[in-house]
Parts: sequence; structure tokens; C-alpha cells
Amino acid sequence: MPEKNLEEKINLVRSPKRLTAHQLTSQLVTDFFEIHGDRQLGDDPAVTTGIGLFHQRPITIIGINRGTNIEQRREVNGGAVRVTGYRKALRVIKAAEKFNRPVISFINMPGADASVFSEQHGQSEAIADLIAKMGQLKVINIALFLGEGHSGGALAFSNANAILMLENALFSVASPEAVQAILKNRDETRDASEFLPMTAQQLKKIGLTDSIISETPAGSLVQRIDDELMKTMKRFEKLDGEQLRQQRRVKFEKVLKLN
Amino acid sequence: MSHMPENNSWQACRYCGKHVHKLQWHPNYRCPFCGQLQRLTIKQRLRITIDADSWQSFETVGTSTDFLDFPGYTEKLKRAQDKTGEAEAMCAGTAKIGGFPVVIGVMDSHFMMGTLNTTIGAVIKQAMAESVARKLPLILFVASGGARMQEGIFSLLQMNTILNQWSQLEDSKNLVVNILTDPTMGGVSASFGFKADYVLAEDHAQIGFAGKRVIAQTTHEQLSDTFQTAEDLLAHGLVDQVIQREKVRSQLITLLRIHFGGNHA
Repeated sequence: MPEKNLEEKINLVRSPKRLTAHQLTSQLVTDFFEIHGDRQLGDDPAVTTGIGLFHQRPITIIGINRGTNIEQRREVNGGAVRVTGYRKALRVIKAAEKFNRPVISFINMPGADASVFSEQHGQSEAIADLIAKMGQLKVINIALFLGEGHSGGALAFSNANAILMLENALFSVASPEAVQAILKNRDETRDASEFLPMTAQQLKKIGLTDSIISETPAGSLVQRIDDELMKTMKRFEKLDGEQLRQQRRVKFEKVLKLN
Repeated sequence: MSHMPENNSWQACRYCGKHVHKLQWHPNYRCPFCGQLQRLTIKQRLRITIDADSWQSFETVGTSTDFLDFPGYTEKLKRAQDKTGEAEAMCAGTAKIGGFPVVIGVMDSHFMMGTLNTTIGAVIKQAMAESVARKLPLILFVASGGARMQEGIFSLLQMNTILNQWSQLEDSKNLVVNILTDPTMGGVSASFGFKADYVLAEDHAQIGFAGKRVIAQTTHEQLSDTFQTAEDLLAHGLVDQVIQREKVRSQLITLLRIHFGGNHA
């Protein structure tokens, strides 16, 4: 099948029919035990965090929800994670480190929240804290892009030992709309983004994405995700905490050295 | 003819629009009419901050190029270089402040709004690494609109790689002071912006993650004039102090004296 163009990919990952973090969690994780709240300001419904068993093994899950209908999308802010979401995630990854559990993030979000609430409660530092802690984790962390993920908000969940992406997933410095707005480009909506590597295929080429999971046949997608997650976990299970940190440092520095 | 001002002697204040003579700007670039600060170039910032003749720039760590063939980027870089006389929007080196040796990094919003790209990221990581290697405090003057779109994901990946470097800096227990100046936004605010032992914000500086225009469009809220100002951040407990530009140098010396003792020249 020919690769889809950017426009088609964008429509696909934003579709209400897209595989969600909730669906995936319920199919891959048994005994899922949800963790709520950041203990400071509230509980961001755009981020579902919890623990459970993955192939009998304790695991921490961070799932980003963008909602599949209007009502849900309003509730979860379209997946734009609020300041409370980053702090909740920070709390659960600290616990993951304490109990030596791997962390897996399922990502489909347009970017960080744009609101007075998040700004006035320190969203900038909350994102920085999560990025920094993800980088220093002494346990395995894996990011799986189910849909799109943009800006520092998505990076906070993907500063990981491995980045997996579904075939049509996207990861960029800013959403195509935001790139356009920032550059004040009033031409064709997604033009500028055509020049920025953001598809799974482009990011694999520069070494950022570790593997791409084919989306067809759709019926066995979850099985392929399961296999890939297991394979990735095995890849790192012999590394100790310091080696995991080192691996992350080298991974991202290597991508930057290529340019 | 003799009364005609020489070229560039007068400049309109970007806030109140009144015309201010260059002698009235010096040395702090605060408008004598409305009291607002103008944004500083790297040279202007160094001049009012460090001891005279103490500046030693680090070796250049990279040159910005249009490696993604992004339309218009090469021209934009060239224009910014011509306008500022700098190769990029940041420089770092060693200097003395009140006799105390420091590593200092200064960003310049006149150069493509100080946006974070691979070169700027490399300079910040270099400044952090040099601070560790030389066991010197790190002073960063932050000014940036956020990540530079023209370098896409490579700009974004500066955020986590800088924070990796910062973790090593944090382990070194070196003193780190960030002075957030106008503007400190986006990927800079959400990476190293607040990662310091002391975070000072210059008065009236705009500081935040998402831009004001984007927030207004997303939330349809009426945003107050003070939203995302240094003063608003202080009120919400997000910075240690709002600092007048006239006092930045003396306050830095105070911090250095508290941390390193008072016997310097």
C-alpha cells in the first residue's frame, strides 16, 4: 500500500475511530489500577495513569486521551494535557522508579494546554520537570505514538529509551496548525510542515523512531503492538539504571549529531 | 544642518511610541516616558552586567544552516546576522561580576526572536558543561520566543538534551542563576528557563509557555494586560523575584557574595 500523505495521516490520527490509549490499556494490561491526581491542584482527565500487569509483569502506564466524541473531547481538552497532567505523570514515574517497574506511554495529543490556568500554575516548569525526570529514570521507559504528539508537551512523555510509532503517527516540534500560526504563514494550511520531518518513516530515518508498527491488517494491530512492546522491553532488560540513563542520552545526541 | 541628529540617534519606544534620544536610553534602555524596558542586544547586556574587559567567549560550537531546506530560512538567518552582527542568537563565555568569576550565557531576541535551534542548544549545553568543568557558577540571561520552527524536531530535541546536561550540572552543585527577560516563552520556558537555583524575572518581561494570542484564540477568554508578565508570575509563586534591570548586576553580586564569601576584589 502506498504511504499516505501528511494530510491523510493527520485526518487519520485525529479520527474518533483511532485506537485509543484506553482501548489499548484494557487489551494489553490486566489488573489495571488507576492512579488519580497530582496532589497539588487536581486531576487531569487527559492523562490516564496507573499500574497493572503486562505479561504478568508489573508496569506503569501513562495514556493520553483526546476523546472520541464532542463531550469527551471537551472534558479531556482535546488531549491538550494540562499542568496537572504533567505533575500526575511525574508522580507515577517516581513511583515506577521506586518499585522498579517499566513505564509505557501511549501518545495521541495535539500539544500542551493553552490556558490561563495552566500558565498561572507553572505549566512550563511542570513540562521541564517531566522531561528531565523521564531522561534520568533508572527504569525502562518506552513511548508509543498512537496518533500525533507535538511540542514540549509530547516530548515530556517521549524522552524515552525507545520510541515506537504506528505507521501513520506523527511527532513534531509543533502541530502543523501551530507551525503555520507561529510562522504567520497565511498560505495553504499545512504547507510549512511539508518541510519538517514528522512522520514515523521520516523520524525512523534520522534514528529517532526505533520501530514502526504497521497498521494493516487492522484486526491484528493490538497483537503487533503487544509483540513490539515485549521485544523492546527485552532489548533493555539487562541494562541497569545507569546504563538506561546513558542509553537515552546517547540515543538523542546521536540524532542531533546527524545534522 | 548641524542640529540634525546623526543616523539612529533617535528611536521610538516600542511601548509608548515616544521618541527617545540614544543618550536617554543609556545604559539600561528604560524609556524615560513610560518606564518600560527595551530588549537588549548581547553586547548591551554584557556591558551593564559584567566587569569591564572581563569577557572571554567560548569557542564556537556550531553554525546554523538550513539543513531541512526550509523555505526562506537561509535568508532569514542572513538578515538576522546582518542586523545583529552576531552569528546566532546566543553567546556564552567566562566573565567576572564584581570580581567573581562566572560562566555567563546571553540570548538575544533581536536574532530571530532568540528561538532555540541546534546551535543555540549546543551553546547552552556548552555553557552548562563548562560551568561543571571549571567549577564556576552559571548565569543565564534568557530571551526567546521558543523553539525555532525552521529546524523542526531537531529544535524540539534541544529541550530534552539540554535538560540531560542540566541534570549533570545539578549534580555538580554549582550555583545557577537564570534571569528571565522579555520574552521567555515556549520550549525555552519549558526546558531550562526555570531550571536554576534562583529564577529572577526582569520587570515587565513576558514569560510563559503558550503565546497570549494562542491562548486567547483557544479559550475565548479576555486576557488581562498583566497576564504572563514577570509581576503576574511573581504573584503566582513562579519566580523568586522580579528585578529591575538597574539592579540586576548588584543583585547578582549579592548572590555571589552569599555563596562564595565577601573577599573578592
